Amino acid sequence: MVDIEKIEKRTVQSYYDDGLGEIALGLILFLLGGVFIAQTIVRERSAIYQALGILSIIVVLSAALLTGRIVRLLKRRITYPRTGYVAFKKKERSPKRRAVAGIVAAIIGASIAVLYGLSPSVSTLFPAVNGLLLAVAVFFFAHKVGLTRFYVLAAASAVIGIAIAAAGIGEIKGIGFFYMLYGITIAISGVITLVAYLHRYPRAAAGSLEGPDAH
Amino acid sequence: MPTDLRGLADLDRIIHEPARLALAAILSVVESADFLYLQRETGLTKGNLSSHLAKLEEAGYVAIEKTYRGRIPLTLVRLTDAGAAAFKAYRARFKKFLDKT
Repeated sequence: MVDIEKIEKRTVQSYYDDGLGEIALGLILFLLGGVFIAQTIVRERSAIYQALGILSIIVVLSAALLTGRIVRLLKRRITYPRTGYVAFKKKERSPKRRAVAGIVAAIIGASIAVLYGLSPSVSTLFPAVNGLLLAVAVFFFAHKVGLTRFYVLAAASAVIGIAIAAAGIGEIKGIGFFYMLYGITIAISGVITLVAYLHRYPRAAAGSLEGPDAH
Repeated sequence: MPTDLRGLADLDRIIHEPARLALAAILSVVESADFLYLQRETGLTKGNLSSHLAKLEEAGYVAIEKTYRGRIPLTLVRLTDAGAAAFKAYRARFKKFLDKT
């Protein structure tokens, strides 16, 4: 019997077969972490410090604007000639879900601010908080997509965050190290996935993209 | 005919065939997919895939568009509104049938 749900899940999973999204995300996180660390090296309130602050915003904004385009471009060159072209439906998030996500984010932000206000030393835990929050997000994503490697990445986020907080590297530097290490981890996962993908699927012959003449 | 079997007989025969059901399930998740993608995901041969797509197209369940990506010819397939509705109805009926038996 055809398992419809399994086929639907497999179709969604096929988007992640090539690991390109992970490589792109990993590199962005690595870059962001690098900017944070650079900020801790230069003198506070110096021109370079301010410039790095702006650079971190540029990294985040360009990530939001360009990552999708770069991944699509790479998919056009690497993925589509091997496993075919597929365009996924754009999901429309319901206002209710958006509101819930906003409330959750506000509660988390407010809780961190209150904790910081009560005891500034709590900021040494920020890398762990970052790691745990990201772990929860990646865990939900892994559950939705159903790919084991994303569960591993969720666990890695928690472990890296807690380890950096325990090492007492400091607030901004710690967060910087967290993003750099986690970025490398995600990128490595993506590269391994991509290498396995390239081995499994050689480039298809030119005629394979075309349906039979009957159509 | 027993009521249980009547439920089965009422199923859309175009979609009920396993290969076409797999195609409809894939296309229900995506906006469009090309011939190569569908071939890889279903494991069907070129000829089989073509014949099943032709049946789905004949029923008005899929739309097939011949296009080009650069100079490479490309066959894009998408589920039509009628196809999406038929797949949804099939799924609901089949679930109902399974719940009864």
